[in-house]
Amino acid sequence: MSHGHPHEEVRHKSSPYAARIRAIEVLLLEKGVLTESEIQDRISYMEARSPANGAKLVARAWVDPAFKERLLTDTKAAAMELGIDASGPVEFVVVENTAKVHNLIVCTLCSCYPRAILGRPPDWYKSFEYRSRAVREPRAVMGEFGFEPPEDVEVVVHDSTADVRYMVLPMRPAGTEDLDEEELAELVTRDDLIGVSVPRYAGSQSAKS
Amino acid sequence: MTGVHDLGGSPGGPVDKGQHEVEDWERLADAVTIALDIKGIKTTDEHRRAIESLENYRALGYYERWVAATEKLLVEKGILTREEVDERSAEIENRWGGA
Amino acid sequence: MTAFETGDRVRVRSADKPGHVRTPEYLKGKTGRVESVLGEFRNPEDLAYGLSGLPERPLYKVGFRQADLWSDYEGPADDYLYADVYEQWLEHDEGGIT
Repeated sequence: MSHGHPHEEVRHKSSPYAARIRAIEVLLLEKGVLTESEIQDRISYMEARSPANGAKLVARAWVDPAFKERLLTDTKAAAMELGIDASGPVEFVVVENTAKVHNLIVCTLCSCYPRAILGRPPDWYKSFEYRSRAVREPRAVMGEFGFEPPEDVEVVVHDSTADVRYMVLPMRPAGTEDLDEEELAELVTRDDLIGVSVPRYAGSQSAKS
Repeated sequence: MTGVHDLGGSPGGPVDKGQHEVEDWERLADAVTIALDIKGIKTTDEHRRAIESLENYRALGYYERWVAATEKLLVEKGILTREEVDERSAEIENRWGGA
Repeated sequence: MTAFETGDRVRVRSADKPGHVRTPEYLKGKTGRVESVLGEFRNPEDLAYGLSGLPERPLYKVGFRQADLWSDYEGPADDYLYADVYEQWLEHDEGGIT
């Protein structure tokens, strides 16, 4: 959705804050505090980022063990290899799911999220319910997303309380040996990268359309 | 003293998995806030502090909190006044034909 | 040279500090182990009020057993939680001291 002409917004009836931010924008432009292109740059920045970036990183890690090591030790550099620009003051850490450990990401204090890679978080991630319960009853919360790790799998919650953003590297599903990188990436959802679910592969279905 | 935002471990109901379509004003809230950050006019930490201090924190949506916090900081820093924003918002609402 | 190292047993301070704090209430007074040193960062509690936040202090990834955090935790004893905690919020936990 494009930003549109600066003074012609029409679809903002859902909140009194819609007019308020528009007013703030116009005032900041008039006072020379910000320029239109600085604002548009930020809009374009977020539009260019989505969970597909995370899926690409995961798929590459699945097929290339050396890349996986780089992803785990220097996430920003590894992302840049795939053309994903996550540069900036925020640090990223990718945590790996294994047969013994399943990771879940939350930010109880606000909603920190690896936006520079994945774009905007889903509404539920920002909800009071998720922020409250993910740390205290992670298994129940994951159950609500249809995922129940076995009791012998350790559930590890990461609360992003400071300037590090976390993303989960899920395990590669069984039976995917014949899938190529692009097909593997299609298996990975945003929810898998947060940790409330895991990638599934039906096996008999072809990932190609 | 727990802040209203310090939610870890609080009781809560089921997680609503519904996703609303992001609106243009929310994209704008995001863009303006981050642009101010990048220019060094405010910091992420000030932004969080401003959000946490909102009296109606629980009643506001995510980007509503962002707009309220950004406005609070701009006023605090003497860049805008509340009256200017009130006046201009009213003009804009008018042009849109009311809420 | 950091005050704490990987493997150290640490307790999160129970201090009540007004204003912007990035140490959640649910961790205060709890004991865990340092998993890693994440680097040095400026103090968000000061940055939040337009101060410089200097000097930079180490930030630690600290791990806690969920069973130690919540008396009613419903899950295996091995379930774990990590949070990123600033050095000024941690103290050595000698263990065995009441």
